[in-house]
Amino acid sequence: MPVLLSIWNLSIRKAVMIMEFLSNSPEDTEDIGRILGSIAQRGYIVCLEGELGAGKTQFAKGFAKGLGINEHITSPTFTIINEYNGRIPLYHFDAYRINDVEEMYEIGCDEYFFGEGVCLIEWANLIEDIIPKENIKISISKDMEQGVYFRKITLETSGEKYEPVCRKIIEKWDIA
Amino acid sequence: MTKVLALDTSSAVASVAVVDNTKILGEITYNYKRQHSTILIPMIDRILSFLDITVKDVDCIACSSGPGSFTGLRIGAATAKGLCHGADKPLIGIPTLDSLAFNMAYANGIICPIIDALRGNVYTAVYRWEKDWLKKQEDYMAISLEDLMAKLKLYDEDVILLGDGIFAYREKIVEMLGSRAKFAPVSMNMGRASSIAALAIKRYEKGSFDDYMSFVPFYLRKPQAEREYDKAHRGLV
Repeated sequence: MPVLLSIWNLSIRKAVMIMEFLSNSPEDTEDIGRILGSIAQRGYIVCLEGELGAGKTQFAKGFAKGLGINEHITSPTFTIINEYNGRIPLYHFDAYRINDVEEMYEIGCDEYFFGEGVCLIEWANLIEDIIPKENIKISISKDMEQGVYFRKITLETSGEKYEPVCRKIIEKWDIA
Repeated sequence: MTKVLALDTSSAVASVAVVDNTKILGEITYNYKRQHSTILIPMIDRILSFLDITVKDVDCIACSSGPGSFTGLRIGAATAKGLCHGADKPLIGIPTLDSLAFNMAYANGIICPIIDALRGNVYTAVYRWEKDWLKKQEDYMAISLEDLMAKLKLYDEDVILLGDGIFAYREKIVEMLGSRAKFAPVSMNMGRASSIAALAIKRYEKGSFDDYMSFVPFYLRKPQAEREYDKAHRGLV
């Protein structure tokens, strides 16, 4: 089971909330993704950060399941965007190969960011300039001293739109 | 007699029509989810089979040339290019804003189609109907809604607005233009392939075609410098 470590409400005015989780296996990481996916709404922007092998795709697999998507999820490293139809559409981005944010405009990224589904963006830090400022940021970090599979997963929400996110996660957590 | 197969997928609407000089022979228009890539070909197939013709029987194929949804424009252009190549027919691309303005034929006042370009921006142009032809008063542009309203305030007459931008910005427009703002009825406010076709027929008869091999839609984006400015000064990005 993943562990819910802490919750902070950093600034009520700017509506920033942070939650931290501990994951001890790829399955734990997937579970956390699944919970977030199950509460995601149209128009949500979820940025996913973490070094190679941190478990971003594992998280994405869980996230897709939480949206009711049964298709096999692969990292869109070469396609840049993969679309899936679940409870609401999932637009899964991988910005790793993007050299210039202009390239993102070229593929019509705004139609996805402000569209009818949820955007899950891997390597979002590479295209930070064009991502809507209000978003959910997931950072996955390793700590080899704690074990090969140990991951700390930090979830940070910015913006009023995402205010219910932490509360809903806790509700789901209690049921699980 | 000229017969055109026209497609418009530049917005949330997917529309296909077969039109000749005197009438619409058939038109299918859906505005339900963005699923152009899955429904466009079956729509074409259906309309042709109901009319008992094939792509070979039309004189040319027309599509929207932009601006609009990047993905939508590409689906329309790629489909039209493929059909032209396969059936050896000429391609005619019609600017989306022209076809929208054409929905309001012979209307009095200024006609201003607005397509939501997101982040507070619109794709637009300003037209007036002069005698028998639409005359552009302001060229195609990607600008903020505020800047467009400032331009429209300078015209001292009614402004007919249409296009998907009116869904996003209707309240703001009314706030700024008051009773001068007139909104097109639902039957006219979105792109229709028959409007693309009607404009394409006029071009066909003048012998003005696009090269289907090299044709690309135009996306009409704000210059990067302006976007940088917006980011720094208005926090729009």
